[in-house]
Amino acid sequence: MPTIAFEHIYKDYGSLRVLADLNLSVDDGEFLVLLGPSGCGKTTLLNMLAGLQDVTAGTIRIGEEDITELDPKDRGLAMVFQSYALYPTKSVRGNLKFGLAAQKLDRAEIDRRVQWAAELLQITPLMDRKPAHLSGGQRQRVAIGRALVKNVDVFLFDEPLSNLDAKLRTEMRLEIKTLHEQTKSTIVYVTHDQIEAMTMATRIAVMDGGVIQQFGTPDEVYETPANLFVAGFIGAPAMNILDATITSSGPQASATLSDGTKIDLSHYEFTANPNEGQAVKVGLRPEHFDTSGKGGVVSLTLPVASRERTGSDATIFLKFGDDLIAVRAEPAEARDVMVGDNFAVSFPAGKLNLFDAQTGQRM
Amino acid sequence: MSTMTDNFVPRRKKRITGRSIAILAFLAMCAAFFCIPLYVVIVTSFKTMDQIRLGEIFSLPVTWTLEPWREAWSEACSGIKCEGVSAGFFASLKILFPSLILSLSVSSVTGYALALWNVRWAGTFMFILFMCAFVPFQIIMIPMIILTGKIGVYGTIWGVAVVHAVLALPILTLIFRNFYKDIPGEIMQAAIMDSGSFWRIYREIILPMSANIFIVVLILQITSIWNDFLIGITFGGLNNKPMTVILANTVISATGESSYNVDMAAALLTAIPPLLIYFVLGKFFVQGITAGAIKG
Amino acid sequence: MAIRWSRWSPQIALAPAVIVTAVAFIGSIGWTIYISFTGSRRFPDYAIDPERWSRQYERLAKDRAWGISLDNLIVFGIGSLLAIVFGFILAAMIEREKRGEDVFRTIFLYPLAISLIVTGIVWRWMFNPSLGVENFLHQLGWESASFDWLSSAETAMYGIILASLWQSSGFFMALMLSGLKSINSEIWSAARLDGVGVFRLYIEIIIPMMKFTFLTCAILLSLGVVKAYDIIVAMTNGGPGQSTWMPALFTINAYSAKSNIAYASAAAVMMLVITLAIFLPLLLLFIWQQKRRKAAVA
Ligand SMILES: Nc1ncnc2c1ncn2[C@@H]1O[C@H](COP(=O)(O)OP(=O)(O)OP(=O)(O)O)[C@@H](O)[C@H]1O
Ligand SMILES: [Mg+2]
Repeated sequence: MPTIAFEHIYKDYGSLRVLADLNLSVDDGEFLVLLGPSGCGKTTLLNMLAGLQDVTAGTIRIGEEDITELDPKDRGLAMVFQSYALYPTKSVRGNLKFGLAAQKLDRAEIDRRVQWAAELLQITPLMDRKPAHLSGGQRQRVAIGRALVKNVDVFLFDEPLSNLDAKLRTEMRLEIKTLHEQTKSTIVYVTHDQIEAMTMATRIAVMDGGVIQQFGTPDEVYETPANLFVAGFIGAPAMNILDATITSSGPQASATLSDGTKIDLSHYEFTANPNEGQAVKVGLRPEHFDTSGKGGVVSLTLPVASRERTGSDATIFLKFGDDLIAVRAEPAEARDVMVGDNFAVSFPAGKLNLFDAQTGQRM
Repeated sequence: MSTMTDNFVPRRKKRITGRSIAILAFLAMCAAFFCIPLYVVIVTSFKTMDQIRLGEIFSLPVTWTLEPWREAWSEACSGIKCEGVSAGFFASLKILFPSLILSLSVSSVTGYALALWNVRWAGTFMFILFMCAFVPFQIIMIPMIILTGKIGVYGTIWGVAVVHAVLALPILTLIFRNFYKDIPGEIMQAAIMDSGSFWRIYREIILPMSANIFIVVLILQITSIWNDFLIGITFGGLNNKPMTVILANTVISATGESSYNVDMAAALLTAIPPLLIYFVLGKFFVQGITAGAIKG
Repeated sequence: MAIRWSRWSPQIALAPAVIVTAVAFIGSIGWTIYISFTGSRRFPDYAIDPERWSRQYERLAKDRAWGISLDNLIVFGIGSLLAIVFGFILAAMIEREKRGEDVFRTIFLYPLAISLIVTGIVWRWMFNPSLGVENFLHQLGWESASFDWLSSAETAMYGIILASLWQSSGFFMALMLSGLKSINSEIWSAARLDGVGVFRLYIEIIIPMMKFTFLTCAILLSLGVVKAYDIIVAMTNGGPGQSTWMPALFTINAYSAKSNIAYASAAAVMMLVITLAIFLPLLLLFIWQQKRRKAAVA
């Protein structure tokens, strides 16, 4: 069974280069999410895989086969579009069947597959309706069904949930995830929603400016972001990024924040050796702060600027120079805090992220 | 490209496919069908009659002559008068201006009132306008002749201009209304709060927003008035024949051997103004005819 | 919106349009219908003879020229339908190929900017029996080629149809093109991935999706067909004989050559009836379809 490989992919629109020397390989059965801000080239990459757009330079392989110049219908993949792209003049059944137009199948096989997909997606009662008479979620199911009946190994999704409301989105997220587990197919899924990425992906490729910034499991991407972009893009509320300077290197490494607070870096696993006096950025996730205020690699006592509660969660914003530091807290805790109070937090060892201030790369 | 690294292994530019070639060839053939008449007219208008009599309709002029153009402009006979199509050119211009002013002012104000003000019978009126836009001209022709005769404009420039304005009113009003109804309600609400007056809002807010639609309608009207034949011949009387009428008389009712080169030059002279507009302002022209089509 | 303080301004502003509509359209139509029941000749005569109120219509029914006009209307209508087909094919090809779109669109559409009189004169010259295209074909050695369609009663209508196709196909192409462009681009992508054949895609998906555009085109075409006048005057002036008469020409002729107001009015009323007979069903179909679509979306 195939792996998908992008090798040295370039894509130009006229003189605009949107992808440059992109390499990526997706294993069989993987749920790969392409995650990135709008305009970073996710759709372009997906469309090139589907054959809907030409590749300027490079090779795309499925298994050993070079499919870069193959016709879309011969690539053995199915796609679910953002607008669903259902054929409006055909019934649900017609839509599912039409997806099989190119495959020479006998009628019984077609019916069998259509029925299988309909049952799997629970759209059997809708089979004779036109897409216009379906709700957003139902249309989404039909669109997935049209991809399913093709019985292929690779499914492509381009922001399939962005037209649904929040509740439906959560439901469909689960359904797609379940579907992936049932069919054991390979999925390439494009989104700019990090929650979708974190919940569904087996691996995430974080993209920005046509470049893959990090490629790893959701945990890797979340816990050890490869650079400042990934650190800032993943996580809500976003990671706190503070300026600091390395004050000593070696086994007793440490850094100093701009207000003079010392950070103990002796347990930090450096990937590159720091130099004394080097400017760095320290990344602290709001949810890793210890609100008891003791221990850890750095302790801060700062005035409260504001509080925010979202029901199950609360965030306290502390004033740090001109910046704010977000700290996740229990709602009960946040209730007792007054704006202007001093609030003590500490940050545990092993959760801290350190980036080179110049290159933005993880250290 | 800019950076040729070792990794840059360009894909062959997709060769133009057989299907593309077939489509382009077909389109090119159709384009030829559309161009041939124009080509024929142009070459004929520069030929001498001696060459035309040889019957090679597609050949280029052996000696290029401007004589047919001069003759068509100032000498060709239309009926008993022999003053070329130039008289018609000026008559058409004279018809154009009053007619444009009348029809644009009335229909834009009407469209504005129908679209943005609560007039209770607006729906009914619009339906009537819609139906009127489709009525064949012949059904109102005779009473209009009598009416214009009664108010004394029959057979004058004004008669033709007024009839043009009347006939264009339904469709232009609907085009304007369709444009104005997309103006957000908030703008109107704010405007009513600020000044409130119907005419002031029209002058100060609506008109400045309407430049685009005015150009579109203007071009639609200019071409349709310029190209009109029926209204011109019916209402223009003997002395105010627009260019198309003069042209038709020159070519069709000529006696003896036709001077085809002069005829073609006259036809070209008549076609040049709208063609110029089309080639220069084609975008607005297309918008105009499709706007006229969708709501009319 | 409470627009109390200028309730009258809009109504005053609407007055000219209302008056024009009431007098020039509704009043005039009523007048014409009324006159068609009278025996008016050169001047209107408002007396209706109760015995013979329908005499103009009876006369029409017997008039051979009117019969020819109606036959020609049907021939012309069917022939002109080709303009929609042709326009659609052109639009589909332009949309599919995309290369040269602007150039082709400009070329296909320019005849629309030209007066029908000019169009007629140009084609009349092309059809010229001794010096036109036929002569050219003969000189090429194709002796049997016949392109002097206008000089024979059997073929003259086809000559007019050809010229009018030349003139109007671009218009329908433009409408079709904007219809095609409004189709969601992901539908095309989905069809490509599904491997749907071009022919099947158009027949089963694209054309049904464009039924509104087709309806609009049909309505506009039918109106244009009933109104056809200028091009006939310029190409054949009704000839040879009366072989290319059409209702519009017949009506104008009854007024200007025969000087018979009542007869012309009756013919004009018939034109209105024909227009409504074609137009109203199409319009109702259009409205019905739109209602259905609205209901579906809601
Ligand atoms: N047909 C095109 N011609 C020129 N530029 C294009 C074209 N399509 C996309 N682009 C550009 O390429 C870049 C990447 O586009 P792409 O659609 O892949 O972004 P995306 O990551 O899918 O964004 P989104 O999240 O908004 O869908 C964008 O900057 C876009 O402007
Ligand atoms: Mg996208």
